[in-house]
Amino acid sequence: MFQFDRRLFQNFDWVLLGLVALIGAMCLANLYSAMPDTFRGTPVYLKQLYFFIMGFALILLIISVDYRILVEFNYTLYGAVICLLLFSSLFSSGLAGTSRWIDLGFFKLQPSEPAKLMLVITLASYYFRKDTGKGFTLKELFVPLMLAGLPFALIVSQPDLGTALMLAFIFISMTLFVKLRWSTLVTLIGTAFLTAGIGWQYLLKPYQRQRIETFLNPGSDSLGSGYHIIQSKIAVGSGRTFGKGYLQGTQGNLDFLPERHTDFAFSIWAEEWGFFGSLFFFAVYFFLIFWGLNIALSSRDKFGTLLCIGVVSLIFWQAFINLAMVMGLLPVVGMPLPLFSYGGSSLLTTMAGIGILMSVRMRRYQAPV
Amino acid sequence: MRRLFDQIHNLDEEELLILKKRVEITIIVMVTFIAILVVRLWYLQIHEGEKYADMALNNRVRQLQIVAPRGNILDRHNRIIISNRPLFNILWTRDDAKDPDLVLKKMAEILQEDISDVLARIRMVGNHPKFVPIRLKEDVAWETVAFVENHRLELPGIRIEAVPSRKYNYNNLASHLLGYLAEINIRELKNKSSTLYMGGDQIGKMGLEKIFDAQLRGEKGQRLFEVDVHGLEQQQLKLTEPLPGHDLQLTIDLDLQQVAEKEMAGKAGAVIAMDVKTGGLLVLASAPSLNLEEFIGGISQQSWDKMVHDPLKPLLDKTIQGQYPPGSTYKIVTALAGLMEGVITPETTYDCPGYFTLHGHRYGCWKRWGHGKDINLEKALAESCDVFFYHIGQEVGVDKLAIYAKSLGLGEKSGIILENEKAGLVPTKEWKKRKKNESWQQGETVSVSIGQGFNLTTPLQITRMTAAIANGGTLYTPQIVLAIKDQDGATLQEFPPQESGQAFTTARALKLINKGLVAAVNGEHPTGGSAKMETIMVAGKTGTAQVVRLEHYSETEVEDVPNRFRDHAWFTCYAPAENPEIAVTVLNEHGGHGGSAAAPIAKAVLEAYFNKKNAEPSSAQ
Repeated sequence: MFQFDRRLFQNFDWVLLGLVALIGAMCLANLYSAMPDTFRGTPVYLKQLYFFIMGFALILLIISVDYRILVEFNYTLYGAVICLLLFSSLFSSGLAGTSRWIDLGFFKLQPSEPAKLMLVITLASYYFRKDTGKGFTLKELFVPLMLAGLPFALIVSQPDLGTALMLAFIFISMTLFVKLRWSTLVTLIGTAFLTAGIGWQYLLKPYQRQRIETFLNPGSDSLGSGYHIIQSKIAVGSGRTFGKGYLQGTQGNLDFLPERHTDFAFSIWAEEWGFFGSLFFFAVYFFLIFWGLNIALSSRDKFGTLLCIGVVSLIFWQAFINLAMVMGLLPVVGMPLPLFSYGGSSLLTTMAGIGILMSVRMRRYQAPV
Repeated sequence: MRRLFDQIHNLDEEELLILKKRVEITIIVMVTFIAILVVRLWYLQIHEGEKYADMALNNRVRQLQIVAPRGNILDRHNRIIISNRPLFNILWTRDDAKDPDLVLKKMAEILQEDISDVLARIRMVGNHPKFVPIRLKEDVAWETVAFVENHRLELPGIRIEAVPSRKYNYNNLASHLLGYLAEINIRELKNKSSTLYMGGDQIGKMGLEKIFDAQLRGEKGQRLFEVDVHGLEQQQLKLTEPLPGHDLQLTIDLDLQQVAEKEMAGKAGAVIAMDVKTGGLLVLASAPSLNLEEFIGGISQQSWDKMVHDPLKPLLDKTIQGQYPPGSTYKIVTALAGLMEGVITPETTYDCPGYFTLHGHRYGCWKRWGHGKDINLEKALAESCDVFFYHIGQEVGVDKLAIYAKSLGLGEKSGIILENEKAGLVPTKEWKKRKKNESWQQGETVSVSIGQGFNLTTPLQITRMTAAIANGGTLYTPQIVLAIKDQDGATLQEFPPQESGQAFTTARALKLINKGLVAAVNGEHPTGGSAKMETIMVAGKTGTAQVVRLEHYSETEVEDVPNRFRDHAWFTCYAPAENPEIAVTVLNEHGGHGGSAAAPIAKAVLEAYFNKKNAEPSSAQ
């Protein structure tokens, strides 16, 4: 199991590594422009560089282990992450009225981030074991629904709507991929709408509801919640065809753009590099996504495929929601752009996912021992 | 039990195909979503790019107007009547303050106001971005400015703004003529060029400030600077310095104007002095004057109402808007008509028994017991004998009188540049037919020939007439502005004297009238004796314009008649009689007799003029 096959090295996924490195470079350059210095210690682009280095170390660690071992340990992992979530809900410091972080000294861990990857692994394991090939019935879906529901409930209570939604998207994507019966699908969609309605009324915090309302009519509150959307659209739109030039963006440098190093990092990119620069970014980014699907197909076993599908959907949905939000197509929810937004928890989680993809890729010719 | 790990097996062909199909569906779904993003990106950056680029610019670039210093208003000797002073306003920016309540509390203390008043003013400004400063208080005292500047650190968010404002160096001197400034209103904003005038601007509302607003105001400067999201300035992008307004040099002589206004203190009426050779006005005073300081920053309704209801009518510029019967000053016209029409000669005499009889009706002379026998023109003018002029009026007729009156500028606007000048009235038969649809009565000519009846004149018209008599018959357009100068004193535009007509006169007729007018001041029984000067020969004519004819008061002393029923006192004169330079007219509303209530005021102005001329022969013209 731990023996390092020479073929493993031969099959190392240089393409994926190159793509990650390229996006990483764009990320760091962009962070440098967004926040060239900070009054509190290390500049964010340097911190992010350290996280990238840690991320690459994490990848090395992950690819050195056969991914198939995860099917054994998935419940252990699951339990550990749930504990972290409970811990953060109970003890962590509230930042802006939320309790998302656990202070580890050198960085603040956001346990909802690894929870995403944990759900991918858990569902991949479960569907791998239970798949009958004929499609799941509603009854058979009960267990995975509960498995996803517990972290979902914990994260909603933090409250972190974006991450919770992400868990739902992962669940839906992976479940659809393993095939449902039509009756199940219809029932699920019906339930989803019902839940959404009830959730709007009783579960959403006032500020979350306001964000969605503001999104639908941003002009009504241009100095409040609508501000983010308008300023971000101004940043993106004013980049026009070729952009204002690197380090020349005005929206970010003059502080008009909030959260410009985290959720709104792409606004800075679009402002400074324009339409063509943004297209280039899209090309690289979505090539990575499709490459992930390619890995899913190349896997010799179903567990690997499901893992890859989960990781790809994790990255894809976050990217889509973030980009749509930045361009004013979706309401503002806390949702980073994986590999591009500043943030250690998100980056390390994504890098771990990349590590899993690489691990699957490397072992595509290797039969289970 | 088998380990889970061992259950993992390689996929067979059939399973692979199924997975491949599902991945294909996944790709289609993803491509659709990516397409949405690309289209959105195209829409924002290409299709709407220009709009957002503008918005980004508006986001970061602020424009600040710099008010141009307004031009000064100078008297004829370049002494500054109105200049500018900085008006200090206290500004408060909410964004800069960490503890806004504390700062406001301190400020209220400094301003010696109740904190609730301060808060009310802030609330009045209403909803606005936090970084836009609010005016807490306008026009604060210099001591307050110094205090605030010294305590800057304890008052975060408080700033002092200096705005140029008018400074009236001689208080309310020539207030009607100069006018005042106030904030531009919507109607004015619509009519003016939008490049020069903006909402919130100060604009001349009256007098010269209004008429010459375009020359006085200069051009605003502009400062473009970049701000961050807090509105804090990052860098200056562009600075256009304001162009100061031009100065206005008036024909007014400050010293004379001051003398005239001092003489008129507490009275209502007008004093005008004119350079008879140019038509330039040395004095143009209307009493009571307006309190110009009250108009700064907008006059209160209370003060306005008070002025509107004041019986002395301070809002009326009596020099050009007040229309009064000319009274006996009109006898100059009647005399001219008589001489020119050949009705009288210097030798012509009439007897004055104290009345004149026409169709059995007696028209009294002001001297009830009469001026005696053999009154000639000189004596008639000197003693203002009504009967003498009744005779001329009857001989000449009202229409001929009107022709001479009009040739002396009565009954028409003088053409002075000021607004709302009144034309007065010179009645004719045709006028009465048209206006009242009645035919002219001969008795009315009697009244007209001594300046009563329908006659109406403004003090400026009388002055212009007197000046024409003095200068040989030339009517000038009364001139108030000598030149427009730049702030360095260089003349940009000059206003030369403007002749606007010639009276129907001959040198001989003028000489005879002059003789009568000299006698009216210097003669044996002069009506205008109180205008007599020691060294200078003054020629003048008194007038007493009846407000109402009340037999009830005919025996009463002037002082005992209620003010509103008292006669208006006129005096118009020129000097030196042999080579006239200056014409002075005084109208003292409800002052009583011209000889006692108006002539002394004219004398004071003349004295000031000639004293000054003798003291500084070079500076006075």
